[in-house]
Amino acid sequence: MNKGFCLLAQNNSTTNYVRQAYALALSLHRYNKDQKISLITNDTVPKEWQQPFDKIIPIPWTDSAENSDWKIENRWKIYHASPYEQTIVLEADMFITHDITHWWKELEKYDLFFTSNVRTYRDEVVTSRYYRKTFDANDLPNLYSALHYFKKGDKAKEFYTLLEIIVNNWELFYTKYAKEQYQKWCSIDLCAAIASKILDNKKEITNPDSFITFAHMKPHTQGWKSIPKKWTSVIGKYYRNDGNLILGNYLQTRILHYVEDDFLTDEIIEKMKNGN
Amino acid sequence: MTKGVVLFAQNNHTIDYVKQAIFCAKKIKKHLKLPVAIATDSIQWLQDNYPFYKKYIDYIIELEWKECKQKRTFHDGTMSNRNLEWRNHERGTVYDITPFDETLVMDTDFLVGNDIFLNVFKTNDDFLIYRHIKDVNSERTDEYRWNKISDRSIDMYWATVFYFKKTEKTKLFFDLVNHIKENWNYYRLVYQIPDITYRNDFSFSIAIHIMNGHQRTSWPSILPGNLWFTTDVDILVKLDDEKYTFLLDKKDWRGHYTLGSVENANIHIMNKFSLDRAISEVLTDE
Repeated sequence: MNKGFCLLAQNNSTTNYVRQAYALALSLHRYNKDQKISLITNDTVPKEWQQPFDKIIPIPWTDSAENSDWKIENRWKIYHASPYEQTIVLEADMFITHDITHWWKELEKYDLFFTSNVRTYRDEVVTSRYYRKTFDANDLPNLYSALHYFKKGDKAKEFYTLLEIIVNNWELFYTKYAKEQYQKWCSIDLCAAIASKILDNKKEITNPDSFITFAHMKPHTQGWKSIPKKWTSVIGKYYRNDGNLILGNYLQTRILHYVEDDFLTDEIIEKMKNGN
Repeated sequence: MTKGVVLFAQNNHTIDYVKQAIFCAKKIKKHLKLPVAIATDSIQWLQDNYPFYKKYIDYIIELEWKECKQKRTFHDGTMSNRNLEWRNHERGTVYDITPFDETLVMDTDFLVGNDIFLNVFKTNDDFLIYRHIKDVNSERTDEYRWNKISDRSIDMYWATVFYFKKTEKTKLFFDLVNHIKENWNYYRLVYQIPDITYRNDFSFSIAIHIMNGHQRTSWPSILPGNLWFTTDVDILVKLDDEKYTFLLDKKDWRGHYTLGSVENANIHIMNKFSLDRAISEVLTDE
C-alpha cells in the first residue's frame, strides 16, 4: 500500500499557509527519510517551495471556502484528493521535530485515527478544557483533526461522506448535536466529533493513551496561570544548528502545532532548507 | 561505603542556623542513627554557645566566611517580618566537602521524624530528591505555586533534602549547580525567574533540567515519603517530642489562624523565628 502525508493549505488575508506547508514539508523530510508529501492547494506555490512535495494537487470541485477566512470548508475533500491509500493529514501550521516513520506501523491497525490527547510544550497532557467546552457539554468525542490518519476504504469513506454533510450544514448539526455551549463558527474538530458520535465509532478511531499526539500551542492549554494573547510573546524559541527545537527551555520531542504564524521565521526556514 | 548527613549552617545577624543544626542533628541521631557533619562559618559560635554539640555533631567542616549582600524577607506569622541576609550559596560545594561516600543533605529547618530515609542507602540510585511537597495547611491550595520554578518555566525540585552518592554524574551535577550559581543573573533570565535572589531549589531544578537534556526523564529518582512543610506565615507554637503544633495561616483572613498538627513526619518548618523559640525550650535541658 502506498502511503504519504497530505497537507491542505489555503492562504487568507493574514497568513500564508502555503509557506507554512512548505516549512512543514521541509521539517518532515529533515527527520523522516523517503516520505511522500502532497500539498492540496489552489494558491500559487513558488517554484522553490515546490521541491519538497511529490504532488501539488488542486482542491477538488469548487472552492467551498472562497468566502471564508478560516477556510476549513474544504477539509473533508482531503480524503478524495489524497493520492495515497494510507494518509496522515497534518495541518499546515505544524512542525516536525523527530522521526515519526514508525507511526505508520501503529496506524495501519486503524481505518481512521484521530489524536485525542494533546500535550503542552512541557510535554504534559493538556488538562485545560478552555477550548473544548462544547465537546464536554454535549458529550462529544475529544478529537483533534490537526493530526489524523485514514486508510482508503468503506469505513473512512463513510466518515468523510458524513463529514462533508456536517460541514456543509454545520448550523443544523450543531443545533442537534452541539447545542450546549453553542459554537458560532464551523470547526473541523467539532464537525469530526459530531460525525464520530453519529457513527458511534469513538473507540475505533481514537485512543487517548496513544503515543501519536502533538504539542498544541494554543495559550490556554499550556498550564499557565497568567495567559498571554500569544505564546510566542512569552517563551523563548531556539532552533539549534543540530536541528533540535527548544521552546521555553524544553526540547520539543513531539510534533509542534505552533498555531501562531510568528513562530515560523525566515531564519527557521533557512536553517531547515540548509539542513542546519 | 561511609554514610552520613551534612547540614549547612551559616548564621546571619538574627537567625541562629547553628542552633537549628544541633536540633536537626539530635533528630537525625534519634531516628537515623547516622553520623552528622556540620558545614559552617561559625565554628567559634558553635563551640562557645553549644558546648554539648559533640553529642550530636560528629564532624565540623569549616566554611570560609564571606560577606553576603543577598537579603530576603523572613516572616514570623502574617503580622511580622524582617529583611535579613540569606546565606545559602554553599550547597553546591557539598560533593567536595562531604566526609561521606553516600550523603544525605538537609536544611537545618528540616526535621526528621521517622527512619524512612534509611531506605535511600539501599538503592542503586546516585541522586534522590523531592519533586513535590505537601502543605500541612490544607487550606492553602496553591500547589501550582510550588510546581514550577515560575509560571512558564521548568519543574521545581526541592533542595531542602537530598541524597547522593559520589559518581561522575553527581560530580557533574554539583559542578553545574556551582556554575549556575556563579552565573545566576544569566540563568534566572533564561529560566524566567523574576526574583533576583539566588535560591538552591532553583539552581538544582535548572541543573536537573539541563542534565536531562532539557526534557523530562526518570532522573533523578524521588526520595521516599513526603516532604511536609509549613511556610513562614504559619507559626510553630508547640514542639512535643515528635508532635508539632502550628497556627496555620487562614486563607483570606490575614492575622487569623487555624490550629493544626503533624506527628512522626519529616517536616520543613520555614518560620525560623518560631522554630528558634521552640528549639530554645528543648535545648535548655542539654
